[in-house]
Amino acid sequence: MRAIAGWLAAAVVLSAVAFFLSSYHNDVYRKLLLWVALALSYNFLFGISGQVAFSHFAFYGIGAYAVVIFLFQLGMPLPLAMLLAIAVCALIALAVAIPSTRLEGFYLALATLALAQLFIVVLNEGGTITGGTGGIVAYRLPAIFGVHISGPWYTAVIVMLVLATYAVLWRLDRSWFGRACRAVRDNPEAAAAMGVNVARTKVIAFTLTSVLAGIAGMVYAFVDNTVNPPIFGLENAFLLLFMVIIGGAGRHAGAVVGAVLLYLLPFVLSPLIGHHHALVFGVLMVAAILVQPRGLIGIYDALRHPRG
Amino acid sequence: MRSAILEVKGLSKRFGGLTAVANLGFEVREGEILGLIGPNGAGKSTTFNLIAGAHAADGGQVAFRGVPILGLPPHEIAKRGLMRTFQHNRPFEGLTVLENVLVGGHTRFASSLWKVIAGADRLEEQQRRRQAERCVEFVGLGELRDAAVDRLSFGQGRLLEIARALAGEPKLLLLDEPAAGLTLAEAERIAAVIRGIAARGIAVLLIEHDMHFLLPLAHRVVVLNFGAKIAEGTPGEVRSHPAVMDAYLGHAAAV
Repeated sequence: MRAIAGWLAAAVVLSAVAFFLSSYHNDVYRKLLLWVALALSYNFLFGISGQVAFSHFAFYGIGAYAVVIFLFQLGMPLPLAMLLAIAVCALIALAVAIPSTRLEGFYLALATLALAQLFIVVLNEGGTITGGTGGIVAYRLPAIFGVHISGPWYTAVIVMLVLATYAVLWRLDRSWFGRACRAVRDNPEAAAAMGVNVARTKVIAFTLTSVLAGIAGMVYAFVDNTVNPPIFGLENAFLLLFMVIIGGAGRHAGAVVGAVLLYLLPFVLSPLIGHHHALVFGVLMVAAILVQPRGLIGIYDALRHPRG
Repeated sequence: MRSAILEVKGLSKRFGGLTAVANLGFEVREGEILGLIGPNGAGKSTTFNLIAGAHAADGGQVAFRGVPILGLPPHEIAKRGLMRTFQHNRPFEGLTVLENVLVGGHTRFASSLWKVIAGADRLEEQQRRRQAERCVEFVGLGELRDAAVDRLSFGQGRLLEIARALAGEPKLLLLDEPAAGLTLAEAERIAAVIRGIAARGIAVLLIEHDMHFLLPLAHRVVVLNFGAKIAEGTPGEVRSHPAVMDAYLGHAAAV
């Protein structure tokens, strides 16, 4: 009961914020929330399951493009378009994960990098289906039960997405499945001896988190009401990796801290150093790896529970 | 005589030109502690890894509770109730002691992933947690339950290996040189834990090259040398067996 009250309070507070923001700040807030959702699911894949994949942001794009294509190019109703978009993400995730998890981790990195690149090529060369280099523009979220959700109300939808993503990942993490993922990450041979099906665990973790990224992409599609290839470029895949490592890989709170910090940092830095914030990210990244492998959340933990 | 829980027949394994295990046959009976013993390089660990599914055998049969298991992947073998420890401790470093032991109980969770996502696995999680706590306390690590595993000493790490395997509710426990590298006090401690496990009706297959540790502990002993069985019997019989004296005890006495 108290847990439900906590979730409700978080939903109300995080949504209420949107009603006090200007439309510009609402846009910033929405994108911040989407980055948090993505960082949470990427943390489960990279930090908890130990899979070095670069496809997470591509699945965000696949979800966004799929729902828009099903809705506006193929004229499907919204629930069907959403279900099919999820199915597309799941099928592509399975097609990548099943062959790559049989090989060593390095091959998963290569396969997912290839997928991310291939996705951009397909978008650019997709003709009228994907809209080519210009993408698909000027569409609008269909009415749900006669209501057009827009403005701060749509921000509330994104808040629901973030909280639902967090709830699913939190439950998975503290279950037999989350422990199996960590066990596979730490010592696959010992995990197998304890009865964990290593390949299956990796495939499920990859597919589940990729579908969560796809769902976030579906929600993103109606933030700018535009999808085009440059949005889903590889640099964002690396930004996600930076967020999770700098925040603290393997910890939900770390993912949230990393996403908030790295998303907002350019807004602070741009007046000072223009577009050179990538340089600052690079320095932060090197510092995190060399000095603080547990990330910012690790500093917090060390202050809270000093170990004798 | 009690019935066999594990039957090994004609087990063979070659590495290139080296025959590591040659036409080996023995059985482990319900509730007994069987010692598999031999000098270094006798093929003990290879035998162990063949039974546990970590290596593929070149020939032979292994039946666990009457069902052939040779060729099954390790996780399938664990699921059937045959759990193992590692000679060199292999904890899951990112998990606490209790979480490590919970992974040992992995195959005993019945909740589907959908139930987990719906939050409907809470009762089972509590029950498994209590069972894991009992395993942790049984080996005497109760006070370190919530500690990170890097806080454990080598000997405590060995106890964790055993607790983790016990959480899988095995019918047969495979222990790979559990006393190796331990102090005398720690080894005595492990011996008491192993006796306690057998007293619960769990059969134990114990691989060891330290006779002083094994002989007082085992109900029966199988002696290997160069991958083949050279003797089998009670600790008393094996101790005075001429082939064993020759291959092993003479060697050990010389050291």
